[in-house]
Amino acid sequence: MKQATFYINGKKHQVIVGEHDMLSDVIRNKTGLTGTKQGCSQGSCGACTILVNSEAVLGCITPAMRFEGAKITTIEGVATAEGLHRLQELFVEKGAIQCGFCTPGMVLTAIDFLQNNPDPTIDEIKLALSGNICRCTGYKKIIEAVTDYVKETQHNKNIPHRQPGPNEAPNKIVGVSRPYIEATRKVQGLADYADDYQVKDALHVKFLRSIYPHALIDHIDKSEALKMEGVRYIATGEEIPVTFGVLPISQDETAMAIEKTRYVGEIVAAVAADTEEIAAEACKRILVKYTPIKEFLTIDDSINDIGPNQKIHEYGKFNNNIHKKAELRFGDQAQGLKDADVVSKMSFAFEGINHGFTEPHAATAWWDENGLTIITATQVTHYLQRALAKTMEVPLSRVRVIKPYIGGGFGGKGDPFPHEIIISHIARKTRKPVRVCLTREEVFLNNHGRHPSKMNISLGADNDGYLKVLDADIAIDGGAYGSFGVVTSYYNGVLLQAPYKLDNFGFKTIRVYTNKPQCGAMRGHGAVNSRFAVESLIDDIAHRIHMDPVEMRLKNFLDSNTLTVGHYRITSNGSRESLQTVADQSEWANKHGKMEYGHGLGVGCGFFISGSALPIIWNELPQSTVHLKVDFDGRVLITSGANDIGQGSDTMLAIIVAEVLGINMDKIFVVAADTLLTPVDLGSYSSRVTFMAGNAAKNAAENLRTEISSAIATKKGIEASELNFSEEKVFSNDKSIELSWLDAIEILTANRGAVSVSGKYISPKLGGDFKGSGAGLSPSYSFGACVAEVKVDINTGHVRLLNVWGAHDCGRALNPMAVEGQLEGSWHMGIGQALSEEMRYYNGLLVNNNFIDYKIPTTLDTPDIHTNIIETMDPEGPFGAKECGEGAIHPVIPAIANAIFDAVGIRITNLPIKSEDVLELLKQKSVLTDQMAE
Amino acid sequence: MIAEKIYIKTATADEAISMAYAHKDDFCYLAGGTDVLVNKYQGNKESKCLIDITGIAELKQVTITDTHVKIGSLVRLDDLKKHPVLQASFPALIIAAGEVASPMLRKTATIGGNVLCENRCSFYNQSEWWREAVGYCLKCEGDVCIATGGKKACFSKFVSDTAPVLISAGAQLEIADFDGTHIVDLETIYTGDGIKPRNLPETALILNIILPLGHDFLIVFKKLRPRLAVDFTSLTTAVSTDKHGNLRMVIGGVDPKPVLIKGRVEGNREDYIKSALQKTRVVDNDFYSRKYRRDMIRVFLEQSFEELMR
Repeated sequence: MKQATFYINGKKHQVIVGEHDMLSDVIRNKTGLTGTKQGCSQGSCGACTILVNSEAVLGCITPAMRFEGAKITTIEGVATAEGLHRLQELFVEKGAIQCGFCTPGMVLTAIDFLQNNPDPTIDEIKLALSGNICRCTGYKKIIEAVTDYVKETQHNKNIPHRQPGPNEAPNKIVGVSRPYIEATRKVQGLADYADDYQVKDALHVKFLRSIYPHALIDHIDKSEALKMEGVRYIATGEEIPVTFGVLPISQDETAMAIEKTRYVGEIVAAVAADTEEIAAEACKRILVKYTPIKEFLTIDDSINDIGPNQKIHEYGKFNNNIHKKAELRFGDQAQGLKDADVVSKMSFAFEGINHGFTEPHAATAWWDENGLTIITATQVTHYLQRALAKTMEVPLSRVRVIKPYIGGGFGGKGDPFPHEIIISHIARKTRKPVRVCLTREEVFLNNHGRHPSKMNISLGADNDGYLKVLDADIAIDGGAYGSFGVVTSYYNGVLLQAPYKLDNFGFKTIRVYTNKPQCGAMRGHGAVNSRFAVESLIDDIAHRIHMDPVEMRLKNFLDSNTLTVGHYRITSNGSRESLQTVADQSEWANKHGKMEYGHGLGVGCGFFISGSALPIIWNELPQSTVHLKVDFDGRVLITSGANDIGQGSDTMLAIIVAEVLGINMDKIFVVAADTLLTPVDLGSYSSRVTFMAGNAAKNAAENLRTEISSAIATKKGIEASELNFSEEKVFSNDKSIELSWLDAIEILTANRGAVSVSGKYISPKLGGDFKGSGAGLSPSYSFGACVAEVKVDINTGHVRLLNVWGAHDCGRALNPMAVEGQLEGSWHMGIGQALSEEMRYYNGLLVNNNFIDYKIPTTLDTPDIHTNIIETMDPEGPFGAKECGEGAIHPVIPAIANAIFDAVGIRITNLPIKSEDVLELLKQKSVLTDQMAE
Repeated sequence: MIAEKIYIKTATADEAISMAYAHKDDFCYLAGGTDVLVNKYQGNKESKCLIDITGIAELKQVTITDTHVKIGSLVRLDDLKKHPVLQASFPALIIAAGEVASPMLRKTATIGGNVLCENRCSFYNQSEWWREAVGYCLKCEGDVCIATGGKKACFSKFVSDTAPVLISAGAQLEIADFDGTHIVDLETIYTGDGIKPRNLPETALILNIILPLGHDFLIVFKKLRPRLAVDFTSLTTAVSTDKHGNLRMVIGGVDPKPVLIKGRVEGNREDYIKSALQKTRVVDNDFYSRKYRRDMIRVFLEQSFEELMR
């Protein structure tokens, strides 16, 4: 260790650094400038980018000692006393910031690039940003921000400011594009994420993880590790024996392995020490004696009788590793397939994929007179509160969960996790705060990503292209624990009953346990793979009956205000408009089937739930509750348990409340997702937040408006119903009364003080009276379509994605820019699953557990994306809104595969679409063609 | 309890070499560090002493004589394009350098570091915990190569993108050690042994990469990878011709060393391709399968021949 001096953002810092410390660690941990993020620690995501002596470097792989004495600019130093750097302003105004975790690195990379190349082309901008991974935006708005900066600074083009706020017409709130309310904080690196919190005197935890997929733990010897100076506590599984899981019916996990391990990477022991380095070293000194037992690594391994071997879980009465069988049938599929004029039947296989959020899991926990407090990167504060209370064996009232800013989730932070429970336990044992930040490898081991799956699906239609029957036989690989798997099992099947009319429909899904990291919910939960299959089959049938695939889909769409065969209540439905829009925009009619060999267009459609109508844990609580408080100063405080994970839900709540009250956004403040301060919201999953928390916020705002109206009515002797709220005023119809907002609040609070109101959302009773009818029930559904354009290199099999045209029916875009961002991010994630992403295992060991080998598309791999919002004004959504954060991923993947068929005539049935598979299929097709010619 | 660490910054090559000898039991030179520090993070190679050579100004120059261009080993990949002589005479080198990793890494990574880039394998470039779980391969003191299911040789792949181009252009290295400097053909430093892929002493320091001028090289560079940025190569080819009718084919990413095949422009190309397929030892240690990467050797070479003969 030695003392070193750095001049960071113009300030001299003298700090003690380790000889081999990395610069980003020093900046974060020694100077408190935590705007510099760490997403991978391997130089492969760009989040840690800083400027050193005016040149960009990756702080996570730059030794601090190299730049002793250097001038360093972190994101906190980019803005000046005069305000944000214009590029920062444009990031904010263009909606280039969602979760914001990549933003500091992205901004500094762009600044560095532009100082050397002030007038770049768009391609040069894409190239410059190609080492910075963003999982939220699909890069489109980031590139637009940089492009606009160039236009403005180099071409004198005036880019109008988009700064809604005091100057904005206050009667235009809903439907106006605006940045997230926290965007300015994020773009300056001032937003604190879970690992940015510094709680004094905290211990650091590292985990010892199993090296066997399935093994009995014979003995754990902690003695040598405990002798290390700085080691404070070592926890093992039996100390926390209470099981947990996000679903009440899948409480099958303990925080650490007890008696046996079920996947390579499962936590076996946890060391708390004065530093991470000591904790990591101590982990190496713990000796664990295992007896490996027969492992089950594939669906096939687990689905059959396992003979004399030990099951993964002592669960179920049969001698196999099947976790869940879900089956629903409407009509007679066998007969329907016999009766159909044309049947397409194919087998599909999909690799598992990971959420790939850029912020690793991190948390800090401590106990005090109020019980347990944990600050953690979670999408589900409420469920985590329950899980912590259960596993710590304390009342719910002794657990406080605080969600800070979150660097992306996509479902991957939607369960209670072992690390959250373990640090809570150690914090209680040691009476000290305890923190943990997972490595990227550990994030991948945590997984809970999309299930690897296999399916045989048959689809029948008549010669006029009308769908008649669908039968799906699905198997999904759940990994070692349950997570959301029971829901996933149903979603794989039930979410095939729309967007097309289908009276004869059935499915069976089997979820198996395997000795691999567990799978769970990921964007588009459960139905992404089976949607791919069905859209491929439709394309196949259309081809066989010589019908345009767009025309065939248009023929089959469900109407608005109808019921599906499984009793889904379809209200607003923009399928038709979505498909027509992308078909028109892509010039489908002129191009599909008409371009040169190797060049193709493909289409896909989809739909998704806007929140699950049924809560995970059955109780009588509303699904969302929102509180509002207004005080003498006119500010309205929203408190909500909804978890903003970068998707913009805090902003959504503010928009709704401002709209109802007719006030500007600058009078709205949001405190969210703190189980002590905020009312219960079930969390950010199943695309429920806009619909449910949004409706609760609307309800609360309407209640507040009623309170204000009543007070004014009493004071002024007027009917409350005569009063209007708009443009920061409260006025009667005849304008005889016209009060400013502050005057109105003065009347409200007179002799009463601050006023608090509550709003709630409870889903209507929905669904049929058959077993399993609750799966996929939602008060509303979103719909969408995509067209993809590809070029296939017939020599290498490489697929180049040129364009994606997407349209999504979100009911109504409360904030169009945020909706676009969700859609573009969804399509980008779908592109990754289509073309490059997979979780590869070797004997149960995840091989590609980093951002070099797990292939999230870069700027250069992302095509031009053409975004269309379709508005259908959902009758029950807040101001007509419904979901937009998940459903859009469904159509894009089959659109790409169907484009490949259009280009070269091969049918893709496996994901990801690897060049070598394309080449092999081309060879097979060529052989087949030759044989037919002979 | 935690091992002591040392970080030394050096200003001259001689000083660096002296320091290397002083710490020869456990040290590593550190240039850009984009490879070394990731390997250190993962515990692939942890050195007690890091000798930072980025302060050696003499290694950051590009110098030109009538017959040669000398590229200092510390010239950053991103800076190569700034030198007109390289743009004019070796555009393929600029292209290859531009396809290494990502723009940010290229602003730090050096040409010397790239030609010495450590071999990679799916079963080696992992954390220490992971390698223990898989059973340790040959490259990390295990008994067998896991990628091949048990062979007693290491097939970690050679992943430098610039070295194949440099070799195709007849590059040499000027290497300094305690006993002075000497010059070797670049291809001769690669052993083909995945465990110790280079035959240079640990203390040796590359001063310059020397490229001959006046040979009128035409070089076609190709790289196979799933994404257009960030990824290491799954197959790299550099095929060159010169004014004398020489044909040099260099294949990287599919063997522990860059495989060089020499021929003539008028020679039998099919023979060259067969020779390439025979000499490269491709194993399943990559995103793409062994079979596909072998198939692509043929495709890339055929395409390169075609482009060169246009």
